[in-house]
Amino acid sequence: MKQSDMALPPVGAPLLTLEGVTKHYGEVRAVDGISLSIPRGSIYGFLGPNGAGKTTTIRGIMNIVLPDSGTIRFAGRPMTGDLRDRIGYLPEERGLYRKMKCREQLAYLGELKGMARKPALAAADDWMDRLELGDWKDHKVADLSKGMQQKIQFAATFIFKPDLVILDEVFSGLDPLNIELLRDMILTARDEGTTIIFSTHMLAEAEKICDAVCLIEGGQMIIDGPLDQVRANFPRQRLKVAWDDGREPPQTMPGVAAMEFADGVWQLTLDDGIKPSALLPALQEVGNLTLFSGNRPTLSEIFLEAVARHRQEVRS
Amino acid sequence: MSRVLTIIRKEYLERVRSKSFVLGTVLVPALMSLVIVIPMLIEGKDLDERRVVGVVSTPEVFAEMQEIMADREGKVVDLVAVDCLDPDNATCVETLKDQILAEEIHSGVVVPTDFIETRKAVFFNRSVRALVVKDDVLRPVLNLILRKGRFEEAGVELDLYDSLVTSTRWENIAVGQEGTETAQNQGATFALAMTMIMIIYIMIIMYGNHTLTAVIEEKNTRMVEVLLSSLSPDQLMLGKVLGIGLAGLTQFAIWTGAIVFASAQGVSFGSFSLDVGYFTPLIMISFIMFFLLGFFLYATLFAGVGAMCNSVQDSQQFATPLTMGLVIPMLLLTLVLTAPDSTLSVVLSLFPLFSPMLMFMRVCIETPPLWQIGLSWVIMALSIWGAAKGAGKLFRLGILMYGTTPSWGTLVKALRA
Repeated sequence: MKQSDMALPPVGAPLLTLEGVTKHYGEVRAVDGISLSIPRGSIYGFLGPNGAGKTTTIRGIMNIVLPDSGTIRFAGRPMTGDLRDRIGYLPEERGLYRKMKCREQLAYLGELKGMARKPALAAADDWMDRLELGDWKDHKVADLSKGMQQKIQFAATFIFKPDLVILDEVFSGLDPLNIELLRDMILTARDEGTTIIFSTHMLAEAEKICDAVCLIEGGQMIIDGPLDQVRANFPRQRLKVAWDDGREPPQTMPGVAAMEFADGVWQLTLDDGIKPSALLPALQEVGNLTLFSGNRPTLSEIFLEAVARHRQEVRS
Repeated sequence: MSRVLTIIRKEYLERVRSKSFVLGTVLVPALMSLVIVIPMLIEGKDLDERRVVGVVSTPEVFAEMQEIMADREGKVVDLVAVDCLDPDNATCVETLKDQILAEEIHSGVVVPTDFIETRKAVFFNRSVRALVVKDDVLRPVLNLILRKGRFEEAGVELDLYDSLVTSTRWENIAVGQEGTETAQNQGATFALAMTMIMIIYIMIIMYGNHTLTAVIEEKNTRMVEVLLSSLSPDQLMLGKVLGIGLAGLTQFAIWTGAIVFASAQGVSFGSFSLDVGYFTPLIMISFIMFFLLGFFLYATLFAGVGAMCNSVQDSQQFATPLTMGLVIPMLLLTLVLTAPDSTLSVVLSLFPLFSPMLMFMRVCIETPPLWQIGLSWVIMALSIWGAAKGAGKLFRLGILMYGTTPSWGTLVKALRA
């Protein structure tokens, strides 16, 4: 059976599943029993600090490194070398042949994914036009700006119409206009049924684009699930308040875990499960409120807290 | 398999289309002819530069000298009589000296009238460089005249003299395996053998290094991770080695074609001429086999080393011993040449890293037992297989290893893993 004819699960059903994947490098446990499931047609964020094990996990998915234990399944089949043809990979360490012409290079990378030469060349033309690089087809990669090279690399990841695309720090080094352009392309690909793994440190970007995320730290997965659910699991909220004559809140308040004053605004961290509205009467007693703004925890806050909590657990 | 072909095509075209390939195709033969042909030309001594030597002697001696010179092959000296052919006249000798100083003539010789009795002749020159003319040209000529004169004085008939001073006539016959006899041009045999060995040597070094730098470049440009998301390290290594090897083979074919063409045209340099008859099927097949097997053996080793290293500088500590594997047999060529059948020569020429040069040298100068040639091919093929397995291991482990400079220790550890 040709890989391209392979039956894919319906949109929303798991396309890629990892079960108890572990990988050691010598004494170092780079990936420690990671299990996750990525639904088809979603954008799945791979988040975590440097050295958390994201890249090793991705290399495991790409069959570049073999896990010591655990299974990786793609569309229900154990991951093998041939299945790589269904997966596009944009590594964090970008690589292009500097002396090769752009169109030639794209076609070459397409061919390495099993495309025939002619369709590969046609697809290269098409992608270069879409990425507004039509005038650069016969230029060498070295002639292009860093941002343009990044777009070429992006095109190389999509050129052979993969079912799954892994993007590692895809936006790094791009200006906001190009980030916008690529983000739209990623969303379009998702809407067409392509599954995307979006690995990044840029949590604000991940928050904008991801349907689901996982957080990896020390080789272990500490958070996993749809973005809303992840937020719901982090009920701790923050509240910004200010009073008209610079009044201060009492040192302790029931339901408030911590408070901090900066730039004329008090930032209160609420205890788990406390709703901002529950605090309103107590705050009004202090004085005339000029600011009362509750905000959901950002991904970055969740991330920082989860990592800190995990590190503490590991230590104790 | 189609992936490997894609890699092969890219590696091949990239090399064949490069300027350095075109330049190399032209320059290497030029350099090689400098290394091989020029010493041969010099061996024939100062060939085309004709030297004029002034002679002051009796007209009879001068005539005799000219006669003897005319009979000599490869004559590079012209004898001219200084205006006054009178050795007893002091001004005559002065004229000779003046002409030498004025660089009208290269050097001069004065043969006194009583030369037959005294055996004395005087050679005039500007520098010791000219002494070669005295020793190689004038001395034998005057020796002949002296001998002839003394025989004459002793009353020996001229006919008798001629038959007495005659010299040996030599013919060189190489006896082949089947007892066939082939006329042999020793100089040409040696030069052709050396040319072909040099080609094998240069090609293996050049394309082996290509493989090394190509692999390192792949790591430097971080291309390797992209490539490994499409194919396995083994496929990548195979594609690279084959693609580069094919480019090498193209250049090799151009050069071999040129040599065969030149020899078919009967190109000659001085006393040396290329002879197409020399290219027996065994020699041609061996030439191609030793090049191919040698290249793949070294290229595979170089690829494995390259995969472990992050820069060409890093790789030198490993590449140098590999290069020594090519240089040592070049130094041993003379040893094998003088005793091609000795046990030492046989053993050395069967050592796979040396075979491309040493066994091929033996094939060129005499036909070693066919089983030995075959055995060297088998040993090399097995070594390639072993090297590919080892290099594949290094490739898989090292290719994604960045940053650290590898040591021999890590290399051995990786091979054992």
